[in-house]
Amino acid sequence: MNILTLLIFTPALFGLIILALPSSFRASFKYITLLATLLQVGMSAFMYLNFKTGAAFGGINQESQYQFVHKLPWISLNLGTVGKMQIDYFVGADGMSIMLLVMSAIVMVIATLASWEIKSNLKGYFVLFLLLDMAVMGVFSALDFFLFYLFYELMLLPLYFLIGMWGGVRREYAAIKFFLYTLFGSVFMLLVMVGLYLSVTDPATGNHTFNIVQMMNPANFQKYSVFGLAVPQTIFGISARVVGFVVLFVAFAIKVPVVPLHTWLPDAHVEAPTPVSIILAGVLLKIGGYGIIRICMGIFPEVAASCAFWLGLLGVVSILYGALNALAQRDLKRLIAYSSVSHMGFVLLGVASQTAEGVSGAMMQMISHGFLSSMLFFLVGVIYNRVHDRDIYNFRGLATLMPEYATYVMIAFFASLGLPGFSAFVAEAFSLAGAFKSTLIPHWMAVCGSVGILLSAAYFLWTLQRMFFGKELLKGGEIWRTALTKLDVREKAALLPLALLALILGIMPSLALDKINDSVLAFVQFLQHK
Amino acid sequence: MHTPLPNTDLQTTYYALAAVVLPFVAFLINFMVSSKSSKMSGWISTGAVLMSAVLAAMVFARIWNMQQIHGQQLWFSIGETPVYAGVWLNNLSVLMLLLVTVVAVPVHIYSTAYIKTHENNRYFTYLSLFCFSMLALVVVDSMVLLYAFWELVGFSSYLLIGFWFTRDSAVQANKKAFIMNRIGDIGLLTAIIILFAQYHTFDLVQLFGEKGLLYTSTIKDGLWLPSSSIVPPHNGWVIYGSEGISSVWQYVAFTGIVLAVAAKSAQFPLHTWLPDAMEGPTSVSALIHAATMVAAGVFLLGRVYPMFNTTELDILAVIGCFTAFMAATIALTQNDLKRILAYSTISQLGYMIMAMGINAYSSSLFHLATHAFFKCLLFLCAGVIIHEMQHIKEENELDIDPQNILYMGGLRKKLPVTFVACVVGCLALVGFPLTSGYLSKDGILIQSFEWADGRSAMFRLVPYGIMLTSCLTAFYVARLIFKVFFGEFRLKEILPNVHLHVSDGGWQYTLPLLFLSLCSLFPLFSINPVAYEHAWLYQGFAPSNYLARESAYHMLVPIGINIASVFVAYWAYAVYIQERKLVFPQTSFWFRLSYHQWYIDIFYRNVIANAVVQLGKALFWVDRSVVDGLIELLTKITEMLAALSAWTDRYIVDGTLHLIAATTSAIGNFFRGFQSGKIQYYLFSMLAVILAVFIIKLLI
Repeated sequence: MNILTLLIFTPALFGLIILALPSSFRASFKYITLLATLLQVGMSAFMYLNFKTGAAFGGINQESQYQFVHKLPWISLNLGTVGKMQIDYFVGADGMSIMLLVMSAIVMVIATLASWEIKSNLKGYFVLFLLLDMAVMGVFSALDFFLFYLFYELMLLPLYFLIGMWGGVRREYAAIKFFLYTLFGSVFMLLVMVGLYLSVTDPATGNHTFNIVQMMNPANFQKYSVFGLAVPQTIFGISARVVGFVVLFVAFAIKVPVVPLHTWLPDAHVEAPTPVSIILAGVLLKIGGYGIIRICMGIFPEVAASCAFWLGLLGVVSILYGALNALAQRDLKRLIAYSSVSHMGFVLLGVASQTAEGVSGAMMQMISHGFLSSMLFFLVGVIYNRVHDRDIYNFRGLATLMPEYATYVMIAFFASLGLPGFSAFVAEAFSLAGAFKSTLIPHWMAVCGSVGILLSAAYFLWTLQRMFFGKELLKGGEIWRTALTKLDVREKAALLPLALLALILGIMPSLALDKINDSVLAFVQFLQHK
Repeated sequence: MHTPLPNTDLQTTYYALAAVVLPFVAFLINFMVSSKSSKMSGWISTGAVLMSAVLAAMVFARIWNMQQIHGQQLWFSIGETPVYAGVWLNNLSVLMLLLVTVVAVPVHIYSTAYIKTHENNRYFTYLSLFCFSMLALVVVDSMVLLYAFWELVGFSSYLLIGFWFTRDSAVQANKKAFIMNRIGDIGLLTAIIILFAQYHTFDLVQLFGEKGLLYTSTIKDGLWLPSSSIVPPHNGWVIYGSEGISSVWQYVAFTGIVLAVAAKSAQFPLHTWLPDAMEGPTSVSALIHAATMVAAGVFLLGRVYPMFNTTELDILAVIGCFTAFMAATIALTQNDLKRILAYSTISQLGYMIMAMGINAYSSSLFHLATHAFFKCLLFLCAGVIIHEMQHIKEENELDIDPQNILYMGGLRKKLPVTFVACVVGCLALVGFPLTSGYLSKDGILIQSFEWADGRSAMFRLVPYGIMLTSCLTAFYVARLIFKVFFGEFRLKEILPNVHLHVSDGGWQYTLPLLFLSLCSLFPLFSINPVAYEHAWLYQGFAPSNYLARESAYHMLVPIGINIASVFVAYWAYAVYIQERKLVFPQTSFWFRLSYHQWYIDIFYRNVIANAVVQLGKALFWVDRSVVDGLIELLTKITEMLAALSAWTDRYIVDGTLHLIAATTSAIGNFFRGFQSGKIQYYLFSMLAVILAVFIIKLLI
């Protein structure tokens, strides 16, 4: 059995078990889920340790260089004269996906630990949770566009219910907003996918194919096809390949989220329960970044080069706009949601640079932000669960009341604002270095991006000052005082590994970069030879 | 080690590394084992830093004026760029290594008594973290590591300024310090990124070492060319000269460095955090905000010195001179003991920056070293005084600010040791003969005159400005001494019954004071008390051309400045002790300008910080109303379209259907009427139909 397939479908299996168990076993559901996610961490760790590095394992546009590949014919329809319709179950990992798989597996454990707060309809919750888990892993490993799309859409369904049923006061609004936003992007993605399918043929069989790796090879495009390179086609007077790129980019940009397509994020976060926020920020945003790298830029490299300026600009705007918005928030969770927008801007900026430093920095930022945003949302959940309030001005001097909690908050805040020694520093510094080195985007973008680092210090430290330092003063008075108990073992078990991971990756970035490097180099080379 | 080093060098490197890591070990022990109510943590940290000092002295003995050592190891690779981590030991780094550890030892000893037992653990954890970061900062060889420790130093300073985190003012101050320093940090980061993009390396030795890349780069026709030829392979890594980028970026990199230096060394316009940083414990102010961390900016200038061209050096000189003058004028009117000293630190750092700008590289570093000792000494004295004032305040249950010099006076009899130490420190600060300050400061003054010779009148402002600053220094120092130690104890004049049980304190207080006082005198630096060129520290960095005492400035400047200082000090004596009215009235514009610190801080808070917050709020409004508003609008339009199509569906599409149905049923109903079941009706109907047919036929 292929390990990657196992990794993807383990949660589905456990989901079925939960579904089969009667509701009287409801107390055990969270432990079953925890077991499933821990198994996934084990499997991803196995993959991490066995992941071979070197120039021969670059991946990207070389199918033979992918690892843990599992390829099975899935849907095969003989369409007579038109040829054969062929969809494969095709999964594999290269440097771009391996660290994201490991990171997602770990974040899922944290999200499970945060799910202890869910009290109602446990069966539904955990089944949907595991379904989401499966879809996420599938998205990061699918190499067949049809399969990718399937997993991509499959994520929406559980998320809609997870926010809409277990969320806060305005949960229905947030859920529908999130759903429609994402659907808007992916519907058009479907069209491009079909267009690509009709344009690309598998050189081995001569059939049309959904194989993403084949789509990266210009030779596989048919001469008069929509997205063919040989004879440029137009849609509404615009080059078809540009349209294809833009449509895919918009779909993924909504996920990242890139300003101005980001407004679903603060609402979704504010209404979602803590574990869903963790998955949303920790994993789902990365699907946007991953999609831009693997699909948008992979399939349309020459458009990516010509649009680099606009990608970079959107990145810089996201960094600054997100940070300034974070400065204006008084809801702690909304603040962190906007800080996510800002931090994900670095991913876009790094990717737009199309340099090895920039792309590595972007990958590192995705991994680092995965851990740090999970930690931040978990920390917000800690006080929200205790007093059901998270307005910054309703708390003061929490450091005196909950010293241990304050320590974790300080670690998370300082790590997020890019203190050296933590992972975000390496990520942001090299995203900016790549952006400056790049010949595709102007130098001033890197300089403006660095202002985001300053603003992140401003909003995090201001929050620390307002909520945690000073004389203790709580809106809820004595009732809150007693409610705000120390961190328990479960909470520490979730927070400590995240803090350590951020620290270890900051001190030894090679742990992640070694695995990523060959793919990044292959990717940059691929873009240059477009 | 990446480059194989000879055995002795390897040993030296290990000593240096051990000196750096020992405080970190102390930090880890204190962090992990939090025994809150014991004195243990203090002694762990003190022991660690003492051992560091010994090791640093050994390293110093092996490196100073001998050879430099550069050892490194691959840290990680990103893309095709290897990033190394290593140490670069040369005169500059070993001097800093020794200086930081030697100043840190007395401060640690002092702190064991100064910090209350229950706060001991946390305090020494932070302090050890600081020592580690600072020591690492001075020895690392890579710009990435330099930046990392540059920020970590700022972070540990943040922790220590906000040490009493329940005080609002302390928390405001540490936030301000960190954010101001962050401005410098992004400057440094930008500069590093530009240098990296230009030279493809982070290695300080490759860039700024002897025959470094910076020496070969030129600015030609508005283009900044990294180097004309292929640099010989270093570490097997060949660097090819690239086409170069616009020379604007060389100035951007310079601006970045200036911002970094201005933030860390509290220079205009980023100096306002330092006076506020005095919210931290006084021992912290002594070590971090007077002697070591704030000198990091000067150290950075020393490291990257080759990258500056003449214009840029002139800018540095002007910034330094202006800051020195501005801070001195502010110090004249402050009443908070620590704030006076803080502004004096800013002023003295201005001297160092200016010295860098006027090419007095060695004097700048010399002044850095002497200043570290006497300013640390002054702060520790201030600590004793404040501690005793606090004691009086608590004993008598008074509501006074223990740092306000207006409540002090006549303390020389109560605190004799502190008095002597403080006088030594102040004389060194003024630059009185026989003190270390005389050697280092007069060197800067003399060289500033030499530098201005043959330049335009504008540049002549610099030496005269700095002379004036020295006179102002003499005044505020004299004011401080007279207000604190001379005259009568002023609280006693207001409250005759006040109890006074004050003393110099135990050996943990007096020993550091004595040690630092000795270090503030000339013998540590030079056998000759009047000629700065003879100081070993100066010679360690000196270029050969300044050795000759040819110009008349070498005689005139020291004599002139000392006579002026004595007069100014006497004037202060006349004003404050004999109480003659010879000073500016407190209502004048100049007094208010000085008292309110040139309104710079108020401007930053009310204009800049406020503008950023308002911008954030405005953008949030945009986010809610415009961006989300568009989405809402889209929703509304869709809803309206849906309503429209629902209406169409109901009234037009369905309406047509209903109409057809209704028509059909009406017709049906009409004909149903004929089916009554009675034969007469059927006949009647038949007749009617036939008649109708005939009528129609006739008509047509």
